[in-house]
Amino acid sequence: MLTIENLHARVGDREILKGLSLHVPAGEVHAIMGPNGSGKSTLAQVLAGREDYEVTAGRVLYLGQDLLALPPEERARAGVFLAFQYPIEIPGVNNAYLLKTALNAQRQARGQQPVDAFEFMKLIKTKMELVHAPKDFLSRSVNQGFSGGEKKRNEILQMLLLEPKLAVLDETDSGLDVDAMRVIAHGVNSLRSPDRSMLVVTHYERLLELIVPDRVHVLADGRIVKSGDRELARELDQRGYDWLQTGATA
Amino acid sequence: MTGDLPSLADRPLPGAGVTWPRRRTALAELAAAGWPQRRRERWRYTDLEPLAQAGFDVAPAAPGDAELQAAGALLASLTGAAPRLVFVDGNFSRELSSSMPSGMEALDLDAQWGEFDSRWAGHIVTTEHPLAALNTAFSQRGLWVRVHAGAHLREPVHIFHIGSNRPQLAAQPRVVLEIGEGARLTLIEQIVDAGAGSGWLNAVTQIRQGPRSSLDLYRLQQHGERQAHTSLLAADLATDAELRVGYVDLGGRLVRNDVDVALRERGARVELFGLFVAGAGQHLDNHTTIVHAAPETRSDEAFRGIIGDHGRGVFNGKVVVRPKAQRIDARQTNDNLLLGARAEIDTKPELEIYADDVKCSHGTTVGELDPDHLFYLRARGIDADDARQMLTTAFAASVLERVRDEPWRARLLDLVTARLGTLAEQPT
Repeated sequence: MLTIENLHARVGDREILKGLSLHVPAGEVHAIMGPNGSGKSTLAQVLAGREDYEVTAGRVLYLGQDLLALPPEERARAGVFLAFQYPIEIPGVNNAYLLKTALNAQRQARGQQPVDAFEFMKLIKTKMELVHAPKDFLSRSVNQGFSGGEKKRNEILQMLLLEPKLAVLDETDSGLDVDAMRVIAHGVNSLRSPDRSMLVVTHYERLLELIVPDRVHVLADGRIVKSGDRELARELDQRGYDWLQTGATA
Repeated sequence: MTGDLPSLADRPLPGAGVTWPRRRTALAELAAAGWPQRRRERWRYTDLEPLAQAGFDVAPAAPGDAELQAAGALLASLTGAAPRLVFVDGNFSRELSSSMPSGMEALDLDAQWGEFDSRWAGHIVTTEHPLAALNTAFSQRGLWVRVHAGAHLREPVHIFHIGSNRPQLAAQPRVVLEIGEGARLTLIEQIVDAGAGSGWLNAVTQIRQGPRSSLDLYRLQQHGERQAHTSLLAADLATDAELRVGYVDLGGRLVRNDVDVALRERGARVELFGLFVAGAGQHLDNHTTIVHAAPETRSDEAFRGIIGDHGRGVFNGKVVVRPKAQRIDARQTNDNLLLGARAEIDTKPELEIYADDVKCSHGTTVGELDPDHLFYLRARGIDADDARQMLTTAFAASVLERVRDEPWRARLLDLVTARLGTLAEQPT
């Protein structure tokens, strides 16, 4: 599904990713863990196509194609979804309008008929129930005045609607209490399938108790320094990251 | 510069001979005030001198059958069947207008000049608004609308200003609105041309509101692309009167709107908002003055400009708080979106505060579309052009939300969205 080889990326003259390699087979959920500043969010943003980051070396193959050559909208239409760590508030853009426009842009790119207002409402209603979205979710401006938890649920709602092939969740657990995290995890788990992969970026292990990963990778100083199964996440939770960083530089 | 008013004084005056003395007086006032010039601060950013020299016909013949027919055809394509008040080339047309609902009457101003002059003297200061004096000198078939005390008009009343596309024509419509005590109504004013236009519309609207009256006035300006436009709206509010004015300017090549609101008595309040969209070659200027003349008056002003490449916008918002106007609240914002490297906006708030117990705020922003917003939409699969269009429309929509008439708000949003779709956008 996703193969990252020797990826280097920088912002301005500060290099953040320094030779990152990673392989995520179809149907698997991989977790990326690591201390603050290790490059987790940069990886997520680079995969989605943020232009502030300059890729200086390496390549990213997604379903066999060169992901980095595509503008952000084409990545999304090809099935890549980023759940933002800090979802943007867009005053004046109606949430339902965004969801429907995004869905139809992607459907049209795949040669499918656009959904009309009626079909859209039918489709979105079941997804809203799944993430316990309040009724006025659709009529409000995108994320404007949403609580932290509501913003994250809105990201997951978008993901459920767009049904991506590769979902990148960037610290979707940050700022959530245990109940909210359960709702989110339930939504995410409902999408798990043999032809869909997920990259779950998180600082803490607790989300991974709810979204159980197939593999766990530790990112430190712009590189994957250790990989393992879910037990690695538990170990990190108990021991922190310091022992790994020391190991990485030694 | 009065030498540049050349021939105006020599033109044969229109209308009945009994109106000539007041027309001559108006011409004398215009000569004394001088034509608007850029060296005066009020017109620093908008050059109206070419209008004096372009050879406009300031006293054209009244529209004939051909013009009325063209106007009628255009009217049929517009929203707002009745009740309606229709002007063609600056002349009120009773044939094209409908009857008025009970509670209001539409009078011919020409037949009432004597009474009007005695009761409304000094309502407009012509030294500040010389073009209003020009309007007085040449206006024909003006309209005097009276809304009776206590009348509540539920349906909006439509006013149309239709340009028939006669070349070089300067139309001078005059509208006087007198809103009785406790009366309430909504007016929707549309300005359109039957073609690209090569003329000039110089409109004057005067409003006087009685105590506790409420008026919503929504104006949509969709001139042809070659048309020039100057206008003055002068309003004066009694105790606890409420005025809401919303201007949407989409058309014209040279547009200068002046809006003067006097909150004359205690508790009067005004909400003044606007949206202007200036594409390539368009110059759109909004100059507003709100005078807080009495205690506990409130003003809430919000204008938004969307300027395309090679477009130009001007906003000047003046707020005056007189010495006795204590405990007033005045807010003003002007936000502008520049869509192109050669888009230009000049924006200036002006506060003159002579009272000490007041709440005044103002804020101005000028910027481009937020790249974070664009990325978010693109990351959902929406292409860059569509994303820009969505965000630009949203920027406009947030000021249109102030329109309280829902069908009209929806119609405005459609028209604005269509206009924004035609703004050539050049990514920088």
